[in-house]
Amino acid sequence: MGNTHSKRAMSENMKDVSMVDVSSAEDEDKKGSQRAIVQSFSKLDIGDHGSSGAPLMRRRSTLIFDDEDESPRHEENVGDQADLNEFGGPSSESSSSASVFHQRQQQTPPAQGSETPAPESPRVMVPVEITWQQGGSKVYVTGSFTGWRKMIGLVPVADQPGVFHIKLQLPPGTHRFRFIVDNELRFSDYLATATDQMGNFVNYLEISPQDSQQQLQQQQQQQQQQPLQYPQQPQQSQPQEQPQHPANYPPRSRHAEAGTEPLSARSKLALQIEEEPDDMGDGYSRFHGGAEATPAYSYTTDIPAVFTDSSVMEQYYLTLDQQQNNQQSMAWLTPPQLPPHLENVILNNYSNSSDPGGSGSENNSGALPIPNHVVLNHLATSSIKHNTLCVASIVRYKRKYATQILYSPLQ
Amino acid sequence: MSTAATDSVLIEQQLAVQSIRRFLKSKTSYDVLPVSYRLIVMDTSLLVKKSLNILLQNNIVSAPLWDSNTSKFAGLLTSSDFINVIQYYFSNPDKFELVDKLQLDGLKDIERAIGVRPLDTGSIHPFKPLYDACCKMIESRSRRIPLIDQDEETHREIVVSVLTQYRILKFVALNCRETRHLRRPIGELGIITEGKLLSCNMHTPVIDVIQLLTQGGVSSVPIVDEQCRLVNVYEAVDVLGLIKGGMYNDLSLSVGEALMRRPDDFEGVYTCTKNDKLFTIMDTIRKSRVHRFFVVDEQGLLTGVLTLSDILKYILFEEN
Repeated sequence: MGNTHSKRAMSENMKDVSMVDVSSAEDEDKKGSQRAIVQSFSKLDIGDHGSSGAPLMRRRSTLIFDDEDESPRHEENVGDQADLNEFGGPSSESSSSASVFHQRQQQTPPAQGSETPAPESPRVMVPVEITWQQGGSKVYVTGSFTGWRKMIGLVPVADQPGVFHIKLQLPPGTHRFRFIVDNELRFSDYLATATDQMGNFVNYLEISPQDSQQQLQQQQQQQQQQPLQYPQQPQQSQPQEQPQHPANYPPRSRHAEAGTEPLSARSKLALQIEEEPDDMGDGYSRFHGGAEATPAYSYTTDIPAVFTDSSVMEQYYLTLDQQQNNQQSMAWLTPPQLPPHLENVILNNYSNSSDPGGSGSENNSGALPIPNHVVLNHLATSSIKHNTLCVASIVRYKRKYATQILYSPLQ
Repeated sequence: MSTAATDSVLIEQQLAVQSIRRFLKSKTSYDVLPVSYRLIVMDTSLLVKKSLNILLQNNIVSAPLWDSNTSKFAGLLTSSDFINVIQYYFSNPDKFELVDKLQLDGLKDIERAIGVRPLDTGSIHPFKPLYDACCKMIESRSRRIPLIDQDEETHREIVVSVLTQYRILKFVALNCRETRHLRRPIGELGIITEGKLLSCNMHTPVIDVIQLLTQGGVSSVPIVDEQCRLVNVYEAVDVLGLIKGGMYNDLSLSVGEALMRRPDDFEGVYTCTKNDKLFTIMDTIRKSRVHRFFVVDEQGLLTGVLTLSDILKYILFEEN
């Protein structure tokens, strides 16, 4: 899974970072122009973030809504050093407010729903190698990650005849796919298989939260260590993480404080996985070897100021409240009734989808959407009707998910 | 058609069947399961009439049973259980109280009372080859097989899922490219049940038709007119709609009247001729939820029936 790549890239990036630290203004200048380009990407991305087919861009641009009015200025001043200096101040602010924005999102996930959970959140991509080893001359892969429309060509492996492979960047979740080998739709005997809702036999693979969490951390670190890009990724890491070179970059250490508040990487990720597996399909990208630099990271025992300093905490909540202008204020005071993930019950999803158009009869294998792993091993009940209790629970059975619904009488 | 062309059809069909068989041997029941699926299970202490409502509500015709006292799988609830209850009540009309309060674990007593052989509660491990699961179904003459595993820690049984003959054949039709080479007419294959078929007409009392279902051990009885033309079919699953709401007193209805209770989304009756190819049959299975094909001649006269188990048997055991 490209881990070796990542590690190598990691150390490269480390070098790069220390170089930046002692770098001349000229060097920074260059980065400044790079950053400005990224900034303009982020602007573009905000324009149509719902349907963006450019996950890489989106990942970088993350959730800087408040930055919008600011970015044109940077665009104009590409390569301008004065701008760069000015830059540290406002943008670190913007990053903290963006974080706040995100926090709010988490507090109101039902509205956000499962359809487009946190579209502004960075796309965490995990490099995945897909291999076909059953011969053929032209091999393509198509699947839920391309909406089953696009075919991605596999590359023959040099010294192994009949073996083809491709590396893809995929978001976490379950992906279904098949191979097209010499114009014939096939599935691999060497990969996990299952039937889809229609009964087609497909290969599938589950990209676990662990993989993507690792990736997320790596990405965060990477961006953390590229100081000129940090304003673009406000949902900064877990509290114990700290920038490597705070001394040279005071804004960044401030950023570390501001950024650690909102979401742990874990809960952010959970939000992301809530997406329907099919919807995740829009963002695939080819894997570019070492282009994705992934630096090392370290842990710290420092508690972020927001948890220790009451004035910082107060400031934080005040900002939160100001952010609530289009929603009911003080919403952050009331905790959600249920952990948001538990409200997305796939059984309800099933009955909805089976009602119209007789798709229920089509779906005779009782196939359900892939559950969010958070809902596993929970007990759901229906209200008691006619003295009958109905309980349901989703459990893992090997690499699949069984949703058992048990009807029993009240004794 | 020249003999050379016929020969190649023969050989292609043989190779295709062998290839499908290899496919069934290489895949497990577990492979057929979707990544995420639902399974409705009923406690054995549930009332029979409630279980009927649950089946109808969920648009299913069968469910595995769970004995919560022993924490064990307790067999499958199928339409034949309801047929047994109907027959019991028909011969014991004074036992309404008993039938009304009957629990699922009391179905065995009903079986004993009316003297039918209890259904095989055979099961198979999900990681056994699909081929074995098919063989087991054919042996036990059942149309479905529960997949049972054991919990690694508690060693208790887990009901993983239930596979049906239809699901396996649909799986083959969808995923074996070889089915397109099955181009021999089914009349040649000797897989059609011909000769004297059980049948009834529209005016036959439904209770007689239900008795035909159990006597013949079949899942459906064709309904024909005076000229023996096929007009409709009464299926075992139709009894679920008949006794919906716990009404066991409508048994004096004719089968024609009973068919009015069928849900609107009834798929219809599927027919074929002796000259149809197995490929066409498999393609129909792929597209529609069909459980048997009635074989008719040019005049629409009923000449035979091709069931899913006939097809399955052919794929499992023929063309060696």
